[in-house]
Order: sequence, then C-alpha cells, then structure tokens
Amino acid sequence: MNLSLIKVCATAIVLSFASFNAAAGDFSAAWDAADAKRKEAGKMGAEWRDTGKMLKQAKKAAEEGDEAKAMKLVAKALEQSEDAIAQYQREGNLWAARVPQ
Amino acid sequence: MKKLLLTVTAVAIGMTGVGLYASPETDQAAFVNYFTKKFPDTPKEDFVNGVYSIDAASREQWIEIEEFPPYELAIDAGEEEWNTAFANGKGYVDCFGEPGVRGNYPYWDESRKEVITLELAINECREANGEKPLKYKRGKIADISAYMAYASRGEPINVEIPNDEALAAYERGKEFYYRKRGQLNFSCFDCHGGGAGNLVRADKLSPAYGHTSHFPVYRSKWGGMGTLHRRFGGCNGQVRAKSFKAQGPEYRELEYFLTYMSNGLDYNGPGARK
Ligand code: HEC
Repeated sequence: MNLSLIKVCATAIVLSFASFNAAAGDFSAAWDAADAKRKEAGKMGAEWRDTGKMLKQAKKAAEEGDEAKAMKLVAKALEQSEDAIAQYQREGNLWAARVPQ
Repeated sequence: MKKLLLTVTAVAIGMTGVGLYASPETDQAAFVNYFTKKFPDTPKEDFVNGVYSIDAASREQWIEIEEFPPYELAIDAGEEEWNTAFANGKGYVDCFGEPGVRGNYPYWDESRKEVITLELAINECREANGEKPLKYKRGKIADISAYMAYASRGEPINVEIPNDEALAAYERGKEFYYRKRGQLNFSCFDCHGGGAGNLVRADKLSPAYGHTSHFPVYRSKWGGMGTLHRRFGGCNGQVRAKSFKAQGPEYRELEYFLTYMSNGLDYNGPGARK
C-alpha cells in the first residue's frame, strides 16, 4: 500500500465518521421520540407486540452503522405507536357495541 | 350549576352508550343466550369443553386423549407439592384448608380492593411462609393449580360482584374483552364470539362461554401445562398486541369478567387441549 492510498483511506474514514456522528444525533432524537410514543401507547394498554422489538433492532442497526435501516425501523415503530393510540381512541366508542344484548 | 348540567348531560350521554351500564346479570344472560343460539346443538353444560363442545370431529380424538389424560402427571406433582411442608413446617393446607377450593376464585377482596385469583393466592401463601413465589405461566404453579382444580371438579362457577368497586373491576375486564387491539385489530370477542366455530389457520375457535372452567390446561402445542394467564398472553400476542403481565391487574380483571360470564357452569379442570 503506498502512502497516498493510506491518506485517501484515512480521509474517507474521518469523513464517514463525521457524517455518521451527525446522523447519530438525528437518529438518537428520532429513536427517543419513537420510544416515548411507544410508552404513551403502553400507558393506555394499547401497545402492539413488535414495536419494542423494532426499536431494539433499530439501535442495533445504528450501532452496526446501517443508518438507513435504523431510521426506517424507527419510522415504522413510530407509525405503529401512532396507529395503536388511534386504535385505542377509536375503540373507546366502538367496543360497547360488540357486547351481546 | 353549569358544572352540574354538564355532568348530567355527560351521564345521560353515557347511558345511551350501548352495553355500558347493563348490569352484570343482564350481561351474562345475553352472553349465554348469544352462545346457546349460535350453537343450538350444544347442551349448555357442555360449553366447559371448549372447542370440543362444538366440533364433533375433534371431540372424538379428545375423548380418547382423556382416557389417559396428559395432565395426570401435573396433578400428581401438584399433590406431592401440596403435601410437602414449607421450610417453616407449614403448608398450603394452612392457607387454604383443603385443595378443593377452586370455586372460591376469582373473588373481589374488599379490604385490598382487588381481584384475587387462585394462582395469586398460591404465591401469597408461599410468600407468607417465607417461600419464593413461583413463575405464573407454567411449571410448579400449574401443577399445584391442577391438583386443586382436580379436587374441585364439579364445583359451580359462582363469581360474585359485591359492591361498586368490584363492579368497576368487572367493567374494566369487560371493556378489555370487547376492545380491538394489536396490529391485527381483533377483540377477544371477535374470535371467541362472532368468530367461534371458524378456522384460524388449523385451529377451530372455541366459544367464550365456559372458557375459564378447565384451567390450568395441558396443551399439546405447549408440550406441557399452562395457566389461564399464559393463554391470555398467547391470545394477545396472536393479534400482535403486547401481552400483559401474568397476574397483573389487567388479566386478573379479565379473568373476573370472563369467569363471571360462565357463572352457573361447573369447574372441570385441569383440561387437555390441542
Ligand atoms: C385471532 C383470534 C383470537 C383472538 C383475538 C383471541 N383468541 Fe383466544 N384463542 C384463539 C385460538 C386459535 C385458540 C385455540 C383454539 C380454541 O380453543 O379456541 C384460543 C384459545 C383461547 C382460550 C382457551 C380455550 C380452551 O378451551 O382451552 C381462552 C381462554 C382464550 N383463547 C381467551 C382469549 C381472550 C381472553 C382473548 C382476548 C384477550 C382472546 N382469547 C383472543 C384465538 C384467538
């Protein structure tokens, strides 16, 4: 390996590290928001089965440097919790109609 | 005055909500009627046999299984456990008097203001005597519960709702039962009421009437015994809802409601299921 190649590699590593750090800030804020939403659904007793798992997987993907996957999982988890909360609110009016009369 | 008016209006609106303010007795009568109409060929007392009460094909197989019941080992293990003294020399008998008390649970405890189930009482007996509590879904607790259920066969299900606080717990259990939940958006009743008799993958869905009479249960799919709350957790998970803690308040109140719905039937545990 010649010196200039090492230089190029080193620059690339530093650059990717910097961009990762910036994204890591975004990721961790997005993750926190999604986890807060999950807890909000949980307090209502409305949480879905896989939301927590998705958030764990997101963390793992971020640690492994797969930002795209990590963000996608966070978005999916957030959507699940929003849907779960909407379901809970909707059901507040609907459940009683199912009781046999 | 304005506040009072608001309250009165709110109550009036609440009253028109279907099902919300029906008494438990009315609820139960309608519930029983729903299932006896849906399955007119099933004798009422047979609903304690779950899906086998409505499915002649699997019933035969089940009757054969019952000749050498897979829960027998659990009953034996439970009996041995019952007869083994705790480290302090006392035993379950000092808490319960006799094993055949399945019929006293679940009940509303007036002083503690919560629903007490048999499994909770078993663990509280242990802890009061310096023993470690058992895990709630399977294992030793299912053995003891199986032994006690066996000793209680034929006892009537007769859950009581003694006061308004108990009624509130019943209402919470009822709401739990009819609310859709999980990613798949199903209520318990969607499957075990409207859907009873339908196939879900390879399983025929059992009717809810009689649902809690035979627990704990030996389930082939589990390869062992499980408690009622294990089953609740499994059914929540099936629709991709997060399950609740076994013996937490949610499942105890669900058990309170669901067992009340079977008042008048007999306890017949432990059971065997696919
Ligand atoms: C997607 C459909 C589905 C939903 C929703 C569902 N279950 Fe089930 N449940 C099943 C299946 C399948 C079985 C196994 C076959 C059977 O006995 O019905 C079962 C079995 C049971 C049993 C055991 C019956 C027996 O005879 O041993 C109980 C009790 C039960 N469910 C309670 C509930 C409760 C309470 C809820 C709501 C929290 C619920 N189920 C929601 C599908 C469902």
